[in-house]
Amino acid sequence: MVAQAARRRRRTGRAGGGVWYPRWFWPAFALPGVLWLAVLFVLPLYTVLSIAFGTIDPLFRNPLPTWNPVQWDTTAVRTVLERTFGDDAYLGPAFLRTFVYVLCASVLCLVIAYPVAYFVARYGGRRKGLFLVLLIAPFWISYMMRLLAWVNLLQTDGWVNRALTATGLAGQPINWLDGRPVTVVLGLVYGYIPYMTLPLFASLDRVDPSLLEASRDLGASRLRTFLRVTLPLSRHAILAGMVIVTLPMFGDYFTNDLLSGSPGTAMLGNLVNDAIGTPGQGTQGAALVVLLMTMLVLPMLYYVRSTARATREGRA
Amino acid sequence: MARDPRDPSGLSHPVSRRAFLAVAGGGVLLAACGKGGGGAGSNAAAGPPLASPQNPVLWPLTEDNQPIADGLEPEKNAVLKIYNWADYIYKKVAVDDFQKKYKKYNVKVEISSFNTMDEAIAKLRTGQVPFDIFFPTYDRVGKLIQAKLLRPLNHTYIPNISQVWPVFKNPFYDQQWRFSVPYTVYTTGVAWRVDKVKKDIAGMANPYEALWDADYRGKIAILDDYREAISMALLKNGATDLNTGDPKLIDQAKQDLLTMAKTVKPLVNTKGYVDLPEARTWLTQAWSGDMNNAQYYMPKGQSPEVIRYWYPPDGKGTVNNDLICVVKGGKSPVLAHHFLNYMLDFDPAMENFGWNGYQPPQTKADPKSLVADEYIPKNLSTTVVLPEYFDKGFRQLELSPAVDSLWNAAWQQFKAGA
Amino acid sequence: MSSTVQAPAPAEAGQPPEARAARTPAGSWWRNPWRKPRILETVTWLYLAWSILPVAIAVWFSFNAGRSRSTWQGFSMRWYWGDQALSVWHDPELHRALFHSLRLAAVTTLIAVPIGVAFAIGLDRWRGRLAQGFSFQVLLAFVTPEIILAVALLFLITNLLDFIHLGTVGQVLGLVTFQLSYPVIICRARLLSIGSHYEEAAMDLGASPAQALRRVLLPLLSPAIFASAVLVFADVIDNFVIARYLSSDAATEPMTVKIYNSARAAPTPALNALATLMLLSSLVAVVLGFLVYRRLTRGERRAAGAGAVGDFAGNL
Repeated sequence: MVAQAARRRRRTGRAGGGVWYPRWFWPAFALPGVLWLAVLFVLPLYTVLSIAFGTIDPLFRNPLPTWNPVQWDTTAVRTVLERTFGDDAYLGPAFLRTFVYVLCASVLCLVIAYPVAYFVARYGGRRKGLFLVLLIAPFWISYMMRLLAWVNLLQTDGWVNRALTATGLAGQPINWLDGRPVTVVLGLVYGYIPYMTLPLFASLDRVDPSLLEASRDLGASRLRTFLRVTLPLSRHAILAGMVIVTLPMFGDYFTNDLLSGSPGTAMLGNLVNDAIGTPGQGTQGAALVVLLMTMLVLPMLYYVRSTARATREGRA
Repeated sequence: MARDPRDPSGLSHPVSRRAFLAVAGGGVLLAACGKGGGGAGSNAAAGPPLASPQNPVLWPLTEDNQPIADGLEPEKNAVLKIYNWADYIYKKVAVDDFQKKYKKYNVKVEISSFNTMDEAIAKLRTGQVPFDIFFPTYDRVGKLIQAKLLRPLNHTYIPNISQVWPVFKNPFYDQQWRFSVPYTVYTTGVAWRVDKVKKDIAGMANPYEALWDADYRGKIAILDDYREAISMALLKNGATDLNTGDPKLIDQAKQDLLTMAKTVKPLVNTKGYVDLPEARTWLTQAWSGDMNNAQYYMPKGQSPEVIRYWYPPDGKGTVNNDLICVVKGGKSPVLAHHFLNYMLDFDPAMENFGWNGYQPPQTKADPKSLVADEYIPKNLSTTVVLPEYFDKGFRQLELSPAVDSLWNAAWQQFKAGA
Repeated sequence: MSSTVQAPAPAEAGQPPEARAARTPAGSWWRNPWRKPRILETVTWLYLAWSILPVAIAVWFSFNAGRSRSTWQGFSMRWYWGDQALSVWHDPELHRALFHSLRLAAVTTLIAVPIGVAFAIGLDRWRGRLAQGFSFQVLLAFVTPEIILAVALLFLITNLLDFIHLGTVGQVLGLVTFQLSYPVIICRARLLSIGSHYEEAAMDLGASPAQALRRVLLPLLSPAIFASAVLVFADVIDNFVIARYLSSDAATEPMTVKIYNSARAAPTPALNALATLMLLSSLVAVVLGFLVYRRLTRGERRAAGAGAVGDFAGNL
């Protein structure tokens, strides 16, 4: 009540104590950020569009943007669409492969992260701080370093193979880095799972234990309590976690580069990276980026809307 | 601002948005015209000259890009910036020894490296990185010269040119060596380990086919270079033109590569010099210099004796050379000339060779004696590059944009893992 | 929080089947709703080991006396400063990379955090559709895959904003854009929980808006400011895609790019040493930030049992 009255007073320019905020006060704070994002986020996205519909310099074959939408040249976009969805489609398999990898990796992330987050949130007890430190650690251990660590371990003479042959689980050393989808998917899981554990933990931590006890008192078994109380309460966090994990994975190319030497596991990010680096294919690279954004825009908007809504309701 | 390719000065002007749109609009029209009229090979008149042994090119010297004057003193207290492939020049030779030799000018040498030629050219074109010395391949040097990125050489500073093979005093891609000197010569062939591969690769009728052998699935590698990989498939099929624009031949090569991807699952990279010694691969397409270099990457206790390299004994394989050029935007052109002269001298060149494994075209280094002098181990004597190879072998020349697009599209399909 | 209440033993006949089965030892262990969550705990410890051990091993091998990264050949500091040519101290490429990473992180934090905090304050207080629109934009920037932003910025800088050079300036601009959403999101969450009554009270007592802001709001916000500064710093040290696309020459390649390049060629343990140093820098930043955070939130512990760490994590 008091807050609402104060806000009303602010808008009309009068407040208790004789102080009032000018209309431009709060927007002025936001201005530097708004300008920055306008120039360095919105404008670059338009530049990508201009290049996707742009031309190629005849000498050096680098892409040139066409700023005027009226003059947009659709060759590159049509080529990319043909190569993805047309008869001769060879980019299509890479798209499909990326979807499959990302889906598997995200689901695995969820399946692994949920029990861990649940345990730390509900049963952490006195060691909760310690667990949290260990859970947060991967955030500031560089992704590149964690991948490098795995590249070391997965070498033919690395520790993973040594452990497998020593325990007899594998007859001879397996060449993990020769282009196996399993390695790439597990690499993605390893890299992005911390982004799943923390939101899940935060959400599960906020679940009131008395709700669970109440459910137990009313006769529900553990499983039913979980399915009908805990899971629905953490629903938003699950979705948020999935989105935070899935979206960056679509653009990931270095995981595949480091963990697989073979083009058989090429992902969308690799296609984009290759096209940008090849003279004459820059417009196609931009077109791929545009295609990628189009595919992702729905989940992105969904996430943004639900987070904005949750923020407004004070839940986030 | 986008560089207008028709602009001869190559400088970028701050252009107003209206002019920008006009140029962009014009660009679209031009591109549309080009696309309509151009086909493979018809760009010779419209576009830049494409150098080849049958069509040697003498690059003109323009008003705004003249060589430096004679008899200038090297710059004092300068930082000489070298831009080269990663790990392609011996730091001791390029930095320590050169700095020692030119101590009285208090020069410092800095080496920056790039991973792909396209990346390097893109950075050079921004004009924002003042490198002095660049190591291009001859299929790109034409573009660089036309874009006025390279400085013409003043031969009075580089007397050591007499130490290299005479053919380089008038190469087809740069007649009268106006802009470049040679750096290394190399061939592309097939390398393998005899302890893992029991087949006699060298004795096969078509050793290129060994790379398609399903027996070695997962243990084969090819080079991550679209020209090299597709050329190899072309050679396997008996083609002799490695610059062909024939869609049928390119398509056949592409299908072969795709078959290889399915049956053999090759690694695609340029670290054969590490993979083969560490037995991550057993059979690989390789550059001659890399295999020579591989002997230093053998794990402890293993002898480099097991590595073999095959190149067509009649010389009809892929042969290339790399170049050293002076960059126009560099701050120390006189020192740069001295550096080129220094690298053409016998001792530094051979010491560099001892480190990176790539043979310099020195006349004093008789190819037959390279093995005797232990620059190259006996089991790798096939990596020696003979001058005759340049007459009989096939070169990878600059392609016209239309043909290049065909090659790039084929490679893109292979790399997409289709 | 773990419950310590012991339920009474299940009654005899007349109870549902699960209670009857609960009388066997294994069955009773499984059915006991208050048993210690051994399975979850094992899963959690396995996860933590899987998460952190590879990195620990990589750090361990940075002290290897030999060239191998998987065969231990004795302890030595050779890769840090011993080896005359290849160690981090002596190889100019490697320590240039180290300093460049630190430089990028410091500059980006110094720019992104003030703009982000101001943006958060502005967005929080400024009502209306426009504010919501900009909120949207921030969240959109948060979920955009990095490669899209990197490619877009590369095109923008090389085509339109020619006066901005690739290299450190370009990288900083890109990194700030990418990181800007973190301070905004973190500070907004904190602002939501602070509310506006403290400022109003200050203004009722005679402070001007600027004074209220400076002396009341900012101190209250400082934990979130620090948390976001730490996050941005650690994240920039870890950044790969944007830093790589916007770099000019080898002097502007941060550690992550060096690791990526070398891992694809012939890496030595010097790479592990470099990665360990990267880890240390992030660790120092995080620990410092945490200590400052703890001091600043002395008066308001919220998550019981987890202490300041829980708060810190909750803010993330």
